[in-house]
Amino acid sequence: MSDTDDIAPEDEGRVLAAEYVLGVLGAEERRQVEARMAEDASFAREVADWEERLGGMASYVMPATPPAQTWPRIEASLGPPPATAAAQTASLWQSLAFWRAVSVGTSTLAAACLAGLVYIGTRPPTQPPRAPLLATLTGLKTKQPNFVATIGSDGVSLTIVPAALLTTDKRSMELWLIPEGGKPASLGLIAAGQPVRINIPPELLPHLGGGAALAVSLEPPGGSPTGQPTGEVIALGNLTRL
Amino acid sequence: MDADAARSQLAAALVRTGAGDRAALRIVYQDSSAKLFGVLVRILKDRSEAEDVLQDVYVTVWRKAALFNPERASPITWLVAIARNRAIDRLRAGAMNRRTAPIEEATEVRDVTPGALDMVVKAEQQARLGVCLGELDEKASQAIRSAFLDGVTYEQLAERMSVPLGTMKSWIRRGLLKLRACLEA
Repeated sequence: MSDTDDIAPEDEGRVLAAEYVLGVLGAEERRQVEARMAEDASFAREVADWEERLGGMASYVMPATPPAQTWPRIEASLGPPPATAAAQTASLWQSLAFWRAVSVGTSTLAAACLAGLVYIGTRPPTQPPRAPLLATLTGLKTKQPNFVATIGSDGVSLTIVPAALLTTDKRSMELWLIPEGGKPASLGLIAAGQPVRINIPPELLPHLGGGAALAVSLEPPGGSPTGQPTGEVIALGNLTRL
Repeated sequence: MDADAARSQLAAALVRTGAGDRAALRIVYQDSSAKLFGVLVRILKDRSEAEDVLQDVYVTVWRKAALFNPERASPITWLVAIARNRAIDRLRAGAMNRRTAPIEEATEVRDVTPGALDMVVKAEQQARLGVCLGELDEKASQAIRSAFLDGVTYEQLAERMSVPLGTMKSWIRRGLLKLRACLEA
Protein backbone atom coordinates (compact mmCIF):
# COMPACT_ATOMS: atom_id res chain seq x y z
CA MET A 1 0.00 0.00 0.00
CA SER A 2 1.36 3.36 -0.95
CA ASP A 3 0.32 5.02 2.28
CA THR A 4 2.07 2.53 4.51
CA ASP A 5 5.27 2.14 2.55
CA ASP A 6 7.31 4.17 5.00
CA ILE A 7 6.37 2.08 8.04
CA ALA A 8 8.66 -0.80 8.92
CA PRO A 9 6.81 -4.12 9.28
CA GLU A 10 7.81 -4.42 12.95
CA ASP A 11 6.19 -1.03 13.62
CA GLU A 12 2.82 -1.91 12.11
CA GLY A 13 1.18 -3.22 15.29
CA ARG A 14 2.61 -0.31 17.22
CA VAL A 15 1.29 2.21 14.70
CA LEU A 16 -2.13 0.55 14.61
CA ALA A 17 -2.35 0.74 18.41
CA ALA A 18 -1.40 4.42 18.24
CA GLU A 19 -3.96 5.12 15.51
CA TYR A 20 -6.64 3.50 17.63
CA VAL A 21 -5.77 5.59 20.67
CA LEU A 22 -5.43 8.76 18.63
CA GLY A 23 -8.91 8.09 17.26
CA VAL A 24 -8.34 8.38 13.52
CA LEU A 25 -9.77 4.96 12.60
CA GLY A 26 -13.26 4.28 11.30
CA ALA A 27 -15.86 2.24 13.20
CA GLU A 28 -15.06 -1.06 11.54
CA GLU A 29 -11.31 -0.71 12.02
CA ARG A 30 -11.90 0.16 15.66
CA ARG A 31 -13.83 -3.08 16.19
CA GLN A 32 -11.01 -5.01 14.52
CA VAL A 33 -8.47 -3.42 16.84
CA GLU A 34 -10.59 -4.25 19.88
CA ALA A 35 -10.89 -7.85 18.71
CA ARG A 36 -7.11 -7.99 18.40
CA MET A 37 -6.74 -6.56 21.91
CA ALA A 38 -8.86 -9.42 23.21
CA GLU A 39 -6.67 -11.97 21.44
CA ASP A 40 -3.24 -10.52 21.91
CA ALA A 41 -2.14 -9.38 25.36
CA SER A 42 1.02 -7.70 24.13
CA PHE A 43 -0.96 -5.69 21.59
CA ALA A 44 -3.41 -4.73 24.35
CA ARG A 45 -0.46 -3.49 26.39
CA GLU A 46 0.75 -1.49 23.42
CA VAL A 47 -2.65 0.23 23.31
CA ALA A 48 -2.48 0.95 27.05
CA ASP A 49 1.02 2.39 26.62
CA TRP A 50 -0.22 4.73 23.90
CA GLU A 51 -3.07 5.84 26.15
CA GLU A 52 -0.42 6.88 28.67
CA ARG A 53 1.75 8.56 26.05
CA LEU A 54 -0.97 10.54 24.32
CA GLY A 55 -3.41 11.04 27.22
CA GLY A 56 -1.65 14.18 28.39
CA MET A 57 -2.99 16.01 25.35
CA ALA A 58 -6.31 16.12 27.19
CA SER A 59 -4.87 18.92 29.30
CA TYR A 60 -5.10 21.15 26.23
CA VAL A 61 -8.88 21.08 26.61
CA MET A 62 -10.58 23.55 28.89
CA PRO A 63 -12.50 21.75 31.63
CA ALA A 64 -16.25 22.31 31.57
CA THR A 65 -18.52 21.76 34.54
CA PRO A 66 -21.24 19.24 33.69
CA PRO A 67 -24.88 20.05 34.54
CA ALA A 68 -25.85 19.49 38.17
CA GLN A 69 -28.31 16.73 37.32
CA THR A 70 -25.63 14.51 35.77
CA TRP A 71 -24.35 12.92 38.96
CA PRO A 72 -27.81 11.97 40.34
CA ARG A 73 -28.56 10.35 36.97
CA ILE A 74 -25.32 8.40 37.07
CA GLU A 75 -25.98 7.30 40.63
CA ALA A 76 -29.48 6.17 39.71
CA SER A 77 -28.23 4.04 36.85
CA LEU A 78 -25.50 2.23 38.76
CA GLY A 79 -26.07 -1.44 39.16
CA PRO A 80 -25.19 -3.38 42.28
CA PRO A 81 -21.53 -3.32 43.35
CA PRO A 82 -19.56 -4.56 40.39
CA ALA A 83 -18.03 -7.72 41.80
CA THR A 84 -19.69 -10.08 39.38
CA ALA A 85 -19.93 -7.66 36.51
CA ALA A 86 -16.30 -6.68 36.82
CA ALA A 87 -15.15 -10.23 37.19
CA GLN A 88 -17.13 -11.66 34.37
CA THR A 89 -17.73 -9.04 31.74
CA ALA A 90 -15.70 -5.88 32.15
CA SER A 91 -12.46 -7.76 32.47
CA LEU A 92 -13.31 -10.13 29.70
CA TRP A 93 -10.83 -8.97 27.14
CA GLN A 94 -8.06 -8.83 29.67
CA SER A 95 -8.72 -12.13 31.29
CA LEU A 96 -9.42 -13.86 27.99
CA ALA A 97 -6.12 -12.75 26.60
CA PHE A 98 -4.48 -13.54 29.87
CA TRP A 99 -5.85 -17.03 30.23
CA ARG A 100 -5.25 -17.93 26.65
CA ALA A 101 -1.68 -16.86 27.10
CA VAL A 102 -1.28 -18.83 30.29
CA SER A 103 -2.92 -21.94 28.91
CA VAL A 104 -0.27 -22.07 26.22
CA GLY A 105 2.68 -22.76 28.45
CA THR A 106 5.22 -21.42 25.99
CA SER A 107 3.40 -18.20 25.23
CA THR A 108 5.31 -14.98 25.32
CA LEU A 109 3.32 -13.68 28.27
CA ALA A 110 4.07 -16.68 30.43
CA ALA A 111 7.65 -16.61 29.27
CA ALA A 112 7.88 -12.93 30.09
CA CYS A 113 6.44 -13.54 33.56
CA LEU A 114 8.89 -16.30 34.25
CA ALA A 115 11.77 -14.35 32.81
CA GLY A 116 10.87 -11.59 35.24
CA LEU A 117 10.93 -14.02 38.11
CA VAL A 118 14.22 -15.48 37.08
CA TYR A 119 15.70 -12.03 36.76
CA ILE A 120 14.75 -10.89 40.23
CA GLY A 121 15.27 -14.26 41.81
CA THR A 122 17.60 -14.58 44.76
CA ARG A 123 18.74 -18.13 44.01
CA PRO A 124 22.05 -18.94 45.61
CA PRO A 125 24.60 -19.60 42.86
CA THR A 126 25.34 -23.11 44.14
CA GLN A 127 21.75 -24.28 43.75
CA PRO A 128 20.79 -25.59 40.33
CA PRO A 129 17.72 -23.94 38.79
CA ARG A 130 14.48 -25.84 39.11
CA ALA A 131 11.60 -25.92 36.70
CA PRO A 132 9.18 -23.11 37.61
CA LEU A 133 5.92 -24.00 39.33
CA LEU A 134 2.54 -22.74 38.21
CA ALA A 135 -0.83 -22.86 39.94
CA THR A 136 -4.15 -21.72 38.55
CA LEU A 137 -6.45 -20.97 41.47
CA THR A 138 -10.08 -21.38 40.59
CA GLY A 139 -13.20 -20.40 42.51
CA LEU A 140 -14.70 -23.33 44.39
CA LYS A 141 -18.22 -22.52 43.27
CA THR A 142 -17.65 -20.78 39.98
CA LYS A 143 -14.74 -22.88 38.69
CA GLN A 144 -13.53 -19.64 37.13
CA PRO A 145 -9.81 -18.99 37.22
CA ASN A 146 -9.35 -16.29 39.83
CA PHE A 147 -5.59 -16.12 40.32
CA VAL A 148 -2.50 -17.47 38.72
CA ALA A 149 0.59 -18.01 40.85
CA THR A 150 4.08 -18.81 39.66
CA ILE A 151 7.15 -19.78 41.61
CA GLY A 152 10.30 -18.92 39.71
CA SER A 153 13.18 -21.24 39.01
CA ASP A 154 14.88 -19.88 42.14
CA GLY A 155 12.20 -21.89 43.93
CA VAL A 156 11.61 -19.03 46.39
CA SER A 157 9.86 -16.05 44.82
CA LEU A 158 6.15 -16.48 44.31
CA THR A 159 4.12 -14.05 42.23
CA ILE A 160 0.36 -14.15 42.41
CA VAL A 161 -1.71 -12.27 39.87
CA PRO A 162 -5.45 -11.75 40.24
CA ALA A 163 -7.31 -12.47 37.03
CA ALA A 164 -10.45 -10.71 38.12
CA LEU A 165 -11.96 -8.90 41.02
CA LEU A 166 -13.33 -11.63 43.22
CA THR A 167 -15.25 -9.91 45.86
CA THR A 168 -16.31 -6.57 47.22
CA ASP A 169 -15.74 -8.02 50.66
CA LYS A 170 -13.72 -5.72 52.88
CA ARG A 171 -11.99 -8.63 54.56
CA SER A 172 -8.36 -9.39 53.83
CA MET A 173 -7.35 -12.08 51.36
CA GLU A 174 -4.77 -14.47 52.72
CA LEU A 175 -2.71 -16.87 50.64
CA TRP A 176 -2.02 -20.37 51.96
CA LEU A 177 0.35 -23.13 50.98
CA ILE A 178 -1.19 -26.53 51.59
CA PRO A 179 1.42 -29.33 51.52
CA GLU A 180 0.16 -32.72 50.42
CA GLY A 181 -1.49 -34.25 53.46
CA GLY A 182 -0.46 -31.30 55.62
CA LYS A 183 -2.01 -28.26 57.26
CA PRO A 184 -2.25 -24.89 55.48
CA ALA A 185 0.63 -22.51 56.16
CA SER A 186 0.14 -18.79 55.62
CA LEU A 187 2.15 -17.08 52.88
CA GLY A 188 0.75 -13.67 53.78
CA LEU A 189 -1.93 -11.25 52.65
CA ILE A 190 -2.48 -10.46 49.00
CA ALA A 191 -4.15 -7.57 47.20
CA ALA A 192 -7.39 -7.76 45.23
CA GLY A 193 -6.38 -5.58 42.36
CA GLN A 194 -2.71 -6.11 41.69
CA PRO A 195 0.07 -8.66 41.40
CA VAL A 196 1.90 -9.41 44.62
CA ARG A 197 5.31 -10.98 45.08
CA ILE A 198 6.04 -13.05 48.14
CA ASN A 199 9.24 -14.79 49.15
CA ILE A 200 8.38 -18.24 50.45
CA PRO A 201 9.73 -18.68 54.00
CA PRO A 202 12.65 -21.15 54.11
CA GLU A 203 10.83 -23.55 56.43
CA LEU A 204 8.08 -24.04 53.83
CA LEU A 205 10.39 -24.66 50.86
CA PRO A 206 10.55 -28.45 51.40
CA HIS A 207 6.76 -28.57 51.05
CA LEU A 208 6.61 -27.20 47.54
CA GLY A 209 6.94 -30.64 45.96
CA GLY A 210 4.33 -32.72 44.24
CA GLY A 211 0.77 -32.49 45.46
CA ALA A 212 1.07 -29.11 47.19
CA ALA A 213 -1.71 -26.60 46.59
CA LEU A 214 -2.31 -22.89 47.03
CA ALA A 215 -5.51 -21.43 48.41
CA VAL A 216 -6.89 -17.97 49.11
CA SER A 217 -9.28 -17.33 52.00
CA LEU A 218 -11.16 -14.29 53.30
CA GLU A 219 -9.91 -13.27 56.73
CA PRO A 220 -10.38 -10.43 59.21
CA PRO A 221 -8.32 -7.30 58.47
CA GLY A 222 -4.71 -8.12 59.15
CA GLY A 223 -5.11 -11.81 58.44
CA SER A 224 -6.22 -14.95 60.21
CA PRO A 225 -5.98 -14.62 63.99
CA THR A 226 -5.44 -18.37 64.44
CA GLY A 227 -2.73 -19.16 61.90
CA GLN A 228 -5.20 -21.33 60.03
CA PRO A 229 -7.85 -20.29 57.48
CA THR A 230 -10.93 -19.06 59.35
CA GLY A 231 -13.06 -17.64 56.52
CA GLU A 232 -14.40 -18.76 53.20
CA VAL A 233 -11.88 -20.26 50.78
CA ILE A 234 -12.43 -18.36 47.54
CA ALA A 235 -9.81 -19.94 45.28
CA LEU A 236 -7.78 -23.14 45.18
CA GLY A 237 -5.33 -24.74 42.80
CA ASN A 238 -2.54 -27.34 42.65
CA LEU A 239 1.07 -26.43 41.99
CA THR A 240 2.43 -28.07 38.88
CA ARG A 241 5.86 -27.99 37.28
CA LEU A 242 6.05 -26.29 33.92
CA MET B 1 -3.37 20.26 47.01
CA ASP B 2 -0.39 19.72 44.74
CA ALA B 3 -0.50 17.69 41.55
CA ASP B 4 1.00 14.54 43.04
CA ALA B 5 -1.45 14.54 45.94
CA ALA B 6 -4.37 15.11 43.55
CA ARG B 7 -3.21 12.23 41.41
CA SER B 8 -2.78 9.90 44.39
CA GLN B 9 -6.22 10.81 45.71
CA LEU B 10 -7.81 10.09 42.34
CA ALA B 11 -5.91 6.81 41.97
CA ALA B 12 -6.92 5.71 45.46
CA ALA B 13 -10.56 6.60 44.79
CA LEU B 14 -10.48 4.55 41.57
CA VAL B 15 -9.03 1.54 43.36
CA ARG B 16 -11.75 1.80 46.02
CA THR B 17 -14.38 2.17 43.30
CA GLY B 18 -13.05 -1.09 41.89
CA ALA B 19 -13.88 -2.70 45.21
CA GLY B 20 -17.51 -1.57 44.91
CA ASP B 21 -17.36 1.64 46.95
CA ARG B 22 -19.97 4.13 45.65
CA ALA B 23 -18.67 6.98 47.79
CA ALA B 24 -15.31 6.52 46.08
CA LEU B 25 -16.95 6.78 42.64
CA ARG B 26 -18.42 10.08 43.76
CA ILE B 27 -14.91 11.32 44.58
CA VAL B 28 -13.72 10.15 41.17
CA TYR B 29 -16.60 12.05 39.61
CA GLN B 30 -15.90 15.22 41.60
CA ASP B 31 -12.23 15.15 40.70
CA SER B 32 -12.50 14.26 37.03
CA SER B 33 -15.91 15.10 35.59
CA ALA B 34 -15.06 18.66 34.52
CA LYS B 35 -12.00 17.40 32.66
CA LEU B 36 -13.90 14.56 30.99
CA PHE B 37 -16.89 16.77 30.19
CA GLY B 38 -14.52 19.27 28.53
CA VAL B 39 -12.99 16.46 26.47
CA LEU B 40 -16.44 15.15 25.47
CA VAL B 41 -17.84 18.56 24.52
CA ARG B 42 -14.76 19.21 22.40
CA ILE B 43 -15.17 15.92 20.52
CA LEU B 44 -18.95 15.83 20.24
CA LYS B 45 -19.53 19.61 19.81
CA ASP B 46 -22.83 19.23 21.59
CA ARG B 47 -23.35 19.64 25.30
CA SER B 48 -26.42 17.49 25.69
CA GLU B 49 -24.83 14.65 23.76
CA ALA B 50 -21.70 15.09 25.83
CA GLU B 51 -23.75 14.88 29.01
CA ASP B 52 -25.33 11.70 27.79
CA VAL B 53 -21.95 10.14 27.08
CA LEU B 54 -20.57 11.41 30.39
CA GLN B 55 -23.19 9.39 32.27
CA ASP B 56 -22.30 6.38 30.23
CA VAL B 57 -18.61 6.91 30.97
CA TYR B 58 -19.01 6.90 34.76
CA VAL B 59 -21.28 3.86 34.66
CA THR B 60 -18.50 2.18 32.69
CA VAL B 61 -15.94 3.39 35.23
CA TRP B 62 -18.05 1.83 37.98
CA ARG B 63 -17.97 -1.50 36.19
CA LYS B 64 -14.37 -1.40 35.05
CA ALA B 65 -12.57 0.31 37.92
CA ALA B 66 -11.31 -3.04 39.15
CA LEU B 67 -9.16 -3.16 36.03
CA PHE B 68 -7.41 0.10 36.85
CA ASN B 69 -3.83 -0.62 37.82
CA PRO B 70 -2.23 2.37 39.55
CA GLU B 71 1.23 1.01 38.83
CA ARG B 72 0.66 1.02 35.11
CA ALA B 73 -1.72 3.81 34.32
CA SER B 74 -2.18 7.32 35.59
CA PRO B 75 -5.75 7.76 36.77
CA ILE B 76 -6.67 10.70 34.56
CA THR B 77 -5.33 9.18 31.35
CA TRP B 78 -7.16 5.96 32.14
CA LEU B 79 -10.41 7.92 32.57
CA VAL B 80 -9.77 10.09 29.52
CA ALA B 81 -9.22 6.97 27.41
CA ILE B 82 -12.63 5.60 28.41
CA ALA B 83 -14.31 8.94 27.70
CA ARG B 84 -12.60 9.44 24.34
CA ASN B 85 -13.39 5.90 23.19
CA ARG B 86 -17.06 6.39 24.04
CA ALA B 87 -17.20 9.75 22.31
CA ILE B 88 -15.38 8.53 19.21
CA ASP B 89 -17.65 5.50 18.93
CA ARG B 90 -20.63 7.82 19.23
CA LEU B 91 -19.23 10.06 16.52
CA ARG B 92 -18.57 7.14 14.19
CA ALA B 93 -22.03 5.68 14.80
CA GLY B 94 -23.59 9.02 13.93
CA ALA B 95 -21.35 9.59 10.93
CA MET B 96 -23.99 8.27 8.55
CA ASN B 97 -26.48 11.00 9.35
CA ARG B 98 -24.02 13.74 10.19
CA ARG B 99 -22.16 15.88 7.75
CA THR B 100 -18.45 15.96 8.26
CA ALA B 101 -17.18 19.08 9.96
CA PRO B 102 -17.12 22.06 7.67
CA ILE B 103 -13.74 23.01 6.29
CA GLU B 104 -13.78 26.35 8.12
CA GLU B 105 -13.28 24.41 11.33
CA ALA B 106 -9.77 23.70 10.18
CA THR B 107 -8.73 27.13 11.31
CA GLU B 108 -10.41 26.51 14.61
CA VAL B 109 -7.87 23.93 15.72
CA ARG B 110 -7.17 25.56 19.02
CA ASP B 111 -3.63 25.72 20.03
CA VAL B 112 -1.68 24.54 22.94
CA THR B 113 -1.37 26.78 25.92
CA PRO B 114 1.94 25.58 27.29
CA GLY B 115 0.98 26.80 30.77
CA ALA B 116 -2.27 24.85 30.82
CA LEU B 117 -0.90 21.97 32.84
CA ASP B 118 -3.47 19.73 34.28
CA MET B 119 -3.49 19.31 38.02
CA VAL B 120 -3.87 15.59 37.77
CA VAL B 121 -1.50 14.81 34.94
CA LYS B 122 2.05 14.39 36.09
CA ALA B 123 3.67 17.72 35.35
CA GLU B 124 6.97 16.43 34.02
CA GLN B 125 5.25 13.85 31.81
CA GLN B 126 3.04 16.61 30.50
CA ALA B 127 5.94 18.93 29.83
CA ARG B 128 7.79 16.16 28.02
CA LEU B 129 4.80 15.49 25.76
CA GLY B 130 4.67 19.18 24.90
CA VAL B 131 8.38 19.24 24.09
CA CYS B 132 8.17 16.10 21.94
CA LEU B 133 5.11 17.37 20.05
CA GLY B 134 7.04 20.55 19.44
CA GLU B 135 9.89 18.60 17.90
CA LEU B 136 7.65 17.12 15.23
CA ASP B 137 7.13 18.64 11.86
CA GLU B 138 4.64 21.50 12.39
CA LYS B 139 1.93 19.94 10.24
CA ALA B 140 2.28 16.48 11.80
CA SER B 141 2.10 18.00 15.25
CA GLN B 142 -1.00 19.98 14.36
CA ALA B 143 -2.65 16.94 12.77
CA ILE B 144 -1.94 14.71 15.79
CA ARG B 145 -3.28 17.27 18.26
CA SER B 146 -6.32 17.90 16.13
CA ALA B 147 -6.99 14.17 15.81
CA PHE B 148 -6.71 13.62 19.54
CA LEU B 149 -8.77 16.61 20.59
CA ASP B 150 -11.53 16.40 17.97
CA GLY B 151 -11.66 12.64 17.48
CA VAL B 152 -11.74 12.99 13.70
CA THR B 153 -10.82 10.36 11.12
CA TYR B 154 -7.90 10.42 8.69
CA GLU B 155 -10.35 11.35 5.96
CA GLN B 156 -11.74 14.31 7.88
CA LEU B 157 -8.27 15.52 8.81
CA ALA B 158 -7.11 15.30 5.20
CA GLU B 159 -10.11 17.34 4.16
CA ARG B 160 -9.59 19.92 6.90
CA MET B 161 -5.95 20.43 6.12
CA SER B 162 -6.49 20.11 2.35
CA VAL B 163 -3.97 17.35 1.70
CA PRO B 164 -4.39 13.93 0.07
CA LEU B 165 -5.41 11.10 2.42
CA GLY B 166 -2.11 9.28 1.88
CA THR B 167 -0.16 12.36 2.88
CA MET B 168 -2.18 12.75 6.05
CA LYS B 169 -1.69 9.08 7.00
CA SER B 170 2.00 9.37 6.39
CA TRP B 171 2.33 12.57 8.49
CA ILE B 172 0.49 11.04 11.40
CA ARG B 173 2.09 7.61 11.33
CA ARG B 174 5.61 8.93 11.06
CA GLY B 175 4.79 11.60 13.61
CA LEU B 176 3.51 9.03 16.10
CA LEU B 177 6.64 6.91 15.78
CA LYS B 178 8.86 9.96 16.22
CA LEU B 179 6.80 11.02 19.20
CA ARG B 180 7.25 7.61 20.77
CA ALA B 181 10.99 7.69 20.18
CA CYS B 182 11.20 11.16 21.72
CA LEU B 183 9.11 10.21 24.77
CA GLU B 184 11.15 7.07 25.40
CA ALA B 185 14.47 8.82 24.94
